[in-house]
Amino acid sequence: MSYSTFNQEQNNPLTEPMFLGNSVNVARYDQQKHSIFEKLIEKQISFFWRPEEIDVSRDRIDFNKLTASEKHVFISNLKYQTLLDSIQGRSPNIALLPIVSLPELETWIETWSFFETIHSRSYTHILRNLFSDPSEVFEDIVINEQIKIRANDISKYYDDLIFYTQLLQTHGEGDIVVDGKTYTVTQREIKKKLFLCINSVNALEAIRFYVSFACTFAFAERELMEGNAKIIKLIARDENVHLTSTQHILNLWQYGEDDPEMKEIAEELRGDAYEIFMTAVKQEKQWAHYLFKDGSMIGLNESMLCQYVEYIANLRMQAIGFDAPFENQRSNPLPWMNKYLVSDNVQVAPQESEITSYLVGQIDSEVNASDLGDFDL
Amino acid sequence: MANTFKVKVNGGPELAVDATEGTLLEALEKHQLEMHYHCRSGFCGACRSTLKSGTVRYTTEPLAYVRKGDILPCCCVPESDLDIEH
Repeated sequence: MSYSTFNQEQNNPLTEPMFLGNSVNVARYDQQKHSIFEKLIEKQISFFWRPEEIDVSRDRIDFNKLTASEKHVFISNLKYQTLLDSIQGRSPNIALLPIVSLPELETWIETWSFFETIHSRSYTHILRNLFSDPSEVFEDIVINEQIKIRANDISKYYDDLIFYTQLLQTHGEGDIVVDGKTYTVTQREIKKKLFLCINSVNALEAIRFYVSFACTFAFAERELMEGNAKIIKLIARDENVHLTSTQHILNLWQYGEDDPEMKEIAEELRGDAYEIFMTAVKQEKQWAHYLFKDGSMIGLNESMLCQYVEYIANLRMQAIGFDAPFENQRSNPLPWMNKYLVSDNVQVAPQESEITSYLVGQIDSEVNASDLGDFDL
Repeated sequence: MANTFKVKVNGGPELAVDATEGTLLEALEKHQLEMHYHCRSGFCGACRSTLKSGTVRYTTEPLAYVRKGDILPCCCVPESDLDIEH
């Protein structure tokens, strides 16, 4: 019942479900139930990068040249992304680690969250460069109504799962009264909350980031804010790996390749999963409307962004077994987006991002016979 | 040629694809088809297509979940004539 940091039960991790079986004891990867998660860990780690490697100093000059409506688009998106990664940097750890049962999946969740913290740190890196005091931008994130609506919708599934898990792990199954309210806690109820939570996270990784990605890359297409675009490219690549992991979890459940009870729940709550996705689509379109309330920017407007949200929603929903909901949006309205999303085009070698610190301390390691010419024995 | 296969996309005309020259995605782009893609290396799944008939071989192991009946053209080549929905 209560969580143990080292479960002494001699269990076989190969027969555990992904979640809500025995808690993980030995972090071993010599045998794996779902080896895909270790492959994702390796992929993600191979993508390691640091925000400081990317020179964003030119962006300040560009930013000052933007119109007021373009500044609104740029800063609002950064706020929204800061919110998303604030949530994602902690929530998979807090919500999922207490109930995970496979070592490879536990380590994947930790790796995933860690990369979200790199993203969070990169927003500070970008904003510090643009403003001598970025506090106003950060402080608005918990005040701004448009951001709050989204924050609520994303965090509520996590919060619900966390609360019920806490009840299960302190009281066990049953009717539990907290502050005069009765909560019915069963393993199955928590599995349902887990299913909804993973669907909400999947929708987040699948489409919530893409409206702001599109704006960033639209600026870059005009050779503006390119330092920022380099960072967002790296973030987009990471988010694609995270998305793949939630798609794996959902598909493993759906195909009955993990917990049979989760297969039943996936069928039972299929309609709710669909609604979670469609709500995210609707909110992203509203976000596009909010971004362009004072005017559009060259190369991008509200309707193109909404078409892109529909286009990408089609791809993402088919990946988890739904039919494409937007039949008339089968072709990509923003084809230039793809060149920023191609993994091979992402350069992370420090020498290519022109940081001066990279050259400090470099030595010439080549040794020729002539270098030893004046040696006497 | 032994390595050239006929590939039909979305019920369109049969296109010749040489399995020794790049991925299926690249081959179809050479035929001027508008393809869906992001990562082009098998981990994002954006190029996901339905395989109606034929077999493919993966040149890079896909990390994206490949649902039954689906293929990822960005990291595979044809092993036979194909009929796909993209």
